[in-house]
Amino acid sequence: MIADGNRLLRQAVTYGGGWTVTLGAAALLGAAAELLLPAALGLAVDAALGQADRWWPLAACGLVVLIVATDTLSNLAGGAGTARTTARLRQRLLGHLLALDPRRATRYPVGDLVGRLVGQAADAGQAGSAVVFGVTAALPPLGSVIALLLLDWRLAVTFGAGLLLLAVGLRAFVTDASAAAAGYLGVQGRIAGRLAEALHGARTIAAAGSVQVEIDRVLAPLPLLRAHGNRTWTTLARASGRTAGVAPLLQLAIVAVGGWSVADGRLTPGQLFAAVQYAALGAGLGSIVATLNRLVRTRAGAQRIAAVLAEPPRSYGTAPLPAGTGQLVLSGVTVYGDDGSRVLAGIDLRVPPGATVAVVGPSGAGKSTLAAVAGRLRDPDAGEVLLDGVPLCRLSRPALRQAVGYGFERPVLIGDTIAEAVTLGSAVDSGGQPGLGRAGSGQVTAAQRIEDGRAAADGPSDVGRVVAVARAAAIDEFVERLPDGYRSRLDATPMSGGEAQRLGLARALHADRLLVLDDATSSLDTATEHRIAAAVAAHRDRRTRLVVTHRVATAAAADLVAWLDGGRLRGVGAHRELWRDPAYRAVFAASSLPDPAPAKPAEPARPTGPAGAIAPTGPADAIAPTGPAGPAGPAVEVVR
Amino acid sequence: MSGVVRFTAAALRRRARPLGRLAGWSAAEALPALLAGNLTARAVDDGFLAGRPGTGLAWLGVLAVAVAIGAVGTNRAYACLGDVVEPFRDELAERVVTGALHRSTAAGARPETAAVARLTHQVEIVRDTFAGLVMVVRGFLFTAVAALLGLFSLTPVVAGVVAVPLIAGLALFAATLPAMVVRQRDYVHADERLGEVAGAAFTGHRDVVACGAQEIVADRVGRQVHRQAGAEYALARMAALRSLSLAVGGWLPLAVLLLAAPWLVRHGLTAGAVLGALVYVATGLQPALHALVQGVAGGGLRFAVTLDRILDATTPPPTDTAASQLRTVTEAAAEVDSPRAGAAPVWAELRGVTFRYGPRARPVLDGFDLTLGEGAYLAVVGPSGAGKSTLAGVLAGLLRPQAGTVLLGGTPVGAAEPAVLARHRVLIPQEAYVFAGTLLDNLRYLRPDAPGSEVDAAVHRLGLLPLVRRLGGLTATVDPTALSAGERQLVAAVRAFLSAAPLAILDEATCHLDPVAEATVEEAFGARPGALVVIAHRISSALRAREVLILDGGRPLHGRHQDLLAGSATYRELVGHWHADPVRAGVADG
Repeated sequence: MIADGNRLLRQAVTYGGGWTVTLGAAALLGAAAELLLPAALGLAVDAALGQADRWWPLAACGLVVLIVATDTLSNLAGGAGTARTTARLRQRLLGHLLALDPRRATRYPVGDLVGRLVGQAADAGQAGSAVVFGVTAALPPLGSVIALLLLDWRLAVTFGAGLLLLAVGLRAFVTDASAAAAGYLGVQGRIAGRLAEALHGARTIAAAGSVQVEIDRVLAPLPLLRAHGNRTWTTLARASGRTAGVAPLLQLAIVAVGGWSVADGRLTPGQLFAAVQYAALGAGLGSIVATLNRLVRTRAGAQRIAAVLAEPPRSYGTAPLPAGTGQLVLSGVTVYGDDGSRVLAGIDLRVPPGATVAVVGPSGAGKSTLAAVAGRLRDPDAGEVLLDGVPLCRLSRPALRQAVGYGFERPVLIGDTIAEAVTLGSAVDSGGQPGLGRAGSGQVTAAQRIEDGRAAADGPSDVGRVVAVARAAAIDEFVERLPDGYRSRLDATPMSGGEAQRLGLARALHADRLLVLDDATSSLDTATEHRIAAAVAAHRDRRTRLVVTHRVATAAAADLVAWLDGGRLRGVGAHRELWRDPAYRAVFAASSLPDPAPAKPAEPARPTGPAGAIAPTGPADAIAPTGPAGPAGPAVEVVR
Repeated sequence: MSGVVRFTAAALRRRARPLGRLAGWSAAEALPALLAGNLTARAVDDGFLAGRPGTGLAWLGVLAVAVAIGAVGTNRAYACLGDVVEPFRDELAERVVTGALHRSTAAGARPETAAVARLTHQVEIVRDTFAGLVMVVRGFLFTAVAALLGLFSLTPVVAGVVAVPLIAGLALFAATLPAMVVRQRDYVHADERLGEVAGAAFTGHRDVVACGAQEIVADRVGRQVHRQAGAEYALARMAALRSLSLAVGGWLPLAVLLLAAPWLVRHGLTAGAVLGALVYVATGLQPALHALVQGVAGGGLRFAVTLDRILDATTPPPTDTAASQLRTVTEAAAEVDSPRAGAAPVWAELRGVTFRYGPRARPVLDGFDLTLGEGAYLAVVGPSGAGKSTLAGVLAGLLRPQAGTVLLGGTPVGAAEPAVLARHRVLIPQEAYVFAGTLLDNLRYLRPDAPGSEVDAAVHRLGLLPLVRRLGGLTATVDPTALSAGERQLVAAVRAFLSAAPLAILDEATCHLDPVAEATVEEAFGARPGALVVIAHRISSALRAREVLILDGGRPLHGRHQDLLAGSATYRELVGHWHADPVRAGVADG
């Protein structure tokens, strides 16, 4: 772990490239010039008094020019190098994070990951300048002490004593300040808490017309905050009073000791001035600690990033999608949880092409894990999942994306606008060629065309598709009522759980082989859910559907029910058959919103296409090995 | 950004007295800066170089006294700082709180939750950086003036020559300040935007992988990374520019002095005076300018950018003239219909109300009519998103319809003050508001003079008694976060029950209560004089109501439960969804 961090730190130094080299050269040169300047100034003074070569003033000016030039260059190179290094670290971290298995990524809280990307990457991005300054910052102060020693050992002793005094003064401040700050933060938190409460109750306050009352209530502790605030300043005053005199007195002591030496003829007036300057430069010794702190922070940042980079990314195969219509086979699928417990145990399940399989079972039975495994949101620890005969892990990413779509109970919508959120990842459809290249362009175009409002002229198919999936997910009315329709900004659109679910569902509908719905319609009323089920079933390709549900109606409408219990398949068959088992009925009795659906038990699957490969006679047939499905495939429609 | 300057200047003018005291102590603080060179010159010329080290030390002793006085000045100056900075923070905090609450309670607004961070984070940044800025600027002013005066006392010519590049450097720095502020603002925005975009992407990691959108999302976030790097690079260029102004203002005077020194010595300047002049420039002027440039470029820019954002976010937007015109039209329309005298009271009336969330959005209500008289008890049902809460908002006068009239107790709502509206109706939203205070204060929120007996009766009637007992009586202090969502809703319900307003609107106000508690609350409200509208969360609410209104996106349907059951398929679906029917479920068994 630490080795990873140090390796990343070394890489980060090289990321700065030419900027870091420039910075190093400029900083070294600058430090040397800074160290030489007091001596040159002293000689220039002596030159003015006629005691040294008259070119020294010019030489000192030359050093000044050099200092200004190197300082300017250091600022530019340091900042630019940090910007470049930070950006490269961020891009690397970002790419890696998104390439991780969701299971691995979710081990880190989101705030932690954002912190690493925004905060720690910036810390680590300072690798180049931190190393350069770590070396060069110490040079002028240390050199000054030596210079003082060379000028007159008495000066060096005086300087050392003064520095000790300064350190003592600063230490006392740290303890005082933290005590005063604690009280201040306490009151501030109280005001913030009251404001948060009032904002939460904004609608009540608006209705009651009591805004002014609330403002007064929230701000009531303000005088107390001011009292605490004044205390922090008095503390600061005490500390600064203590330390304010130290630096001038140090300078004074140097003048006194040096003056004595001048009187004794050991020093020239110019050397006295050089000593004063060296003492000022030497007081920068305290800043070495800051430089070291920075180096430590940089290293800590690099380690935090390296820890994420050390997580293995998930790999994809290269296989294209074979011919087929979505036959899903799980064989011996076993999944272990993070704590080592078995979540799924040897699941064998065959879902015929075009069929709808409902996954039911009590909470914790492994339903969501089964759904995750079925579309390769997660890889099983043992066994394999095949789609049209090809193991999912051998499929290329574009192929997998084209084939499989996921709807979630709580989808996270990503994008600036509704249109972008709905078209996320569905670019391959319009691109025609699901190549491995930059998949972003097609998606961006689809969303942008809607943005531009040039829909009709440029790409009716893209816009049409967005509207079509929205309609299929029964969210079109909601979107059309928004101020900007499909161009409405996602972050400015308040929506209920059900509305978000439907947008998430619309996003998944591009899939042409397998649709996995993990409780994806749980927040919807029956009428809306039915409308969606019908629309999903009407898809031209008759894709296979795997639906995790708590609802009897959904199970009853499915061709096949997979009943999970404790990570094992307890039964597979038609809902009507399983319903005879009281234990099966108990699964639904436990659910909080009973449905009236069993009043109308599902009719047998009705083939609508050309004669299907499965006869709609019963569960036994449905799970029987089905040969390679023909291109037209069997089709079943959800009916009630 | 001019707003920042105006706001800061106005705030400083209001603090004239503490600022005067601050200036006085700052002058004392600058005493060593004023005397350092001069006394050093005397110590060298009259003491050390004249072979009288005792005299030299005596002069330095005088300087030591000045340093001690300066330290006292520093101490007192910091102590004055509180009187300048703390009121400034108070003004900002008031502004943030007032603005946030006004905007969050405006028509159709959403709670401005960002205001909490603005208060705890941004206001504090401004407080700290404002204090730093005040100290750095006055520190520079007093030190620079003191050093120039001291220099003038030694050699007036040099003082004049040194002042020119110093002022030029300051002017150069001032000229680059606006650009620096812009760069800093870009940088802060880029940083925040990156955090937002990355946060959204990581929150949706599962969704990104499920959509196979890893590269798309990496591109999306990557664009922000790129933008942020650009902003950082621009800052680096600014830092380089800054060292140039430091070169002109800080180093050029030193160079001028060095080059002029031989000439000055030839014209009678003593060795001590040369040293003293150098002390003024190298240990007075130059460090002061350095501190000013660093302080302004660091904390100063943060101050400007953060204050600008606070002012931006808390400046009230210009009033919507279109909306106010519309209001006058509806008011005029309302006046045409004179209230029917002598008839039974009509507590609320909607006439031809059309409401949409945007000019191009489909209307949620379209030419909608509704009349609620004494004893009305209406349940509003429908799928989520059909406009139930919108209706509640329009009815309560919180949302202004684009067309039509809303009358509460015969008064058009457009003209009424919130306090007047509150006398006509009480709205209980889904998110119950309970504040930290006594339970009694919470319950009497809408009617501070409600007699104790009425409060007790309402507490009994609505089933709040167990909570009152648990908390230790009505005068116990409530911590809202320690209550469950249901308990908070119950407190809000009792509060509304005590209100004197005849019309009560329960907008999913009991969704966190169990069905029995919900029934208790709704039945109590149903028996309350006046009219009741319940935006239903469960179908059981509709069964209790006298009339039901169905909003499902199509034409609203209005009628009694039994009639709707017979006449509306949507209603039957809704009832079927909500209503468990074990008998019918058993049919599937057979």
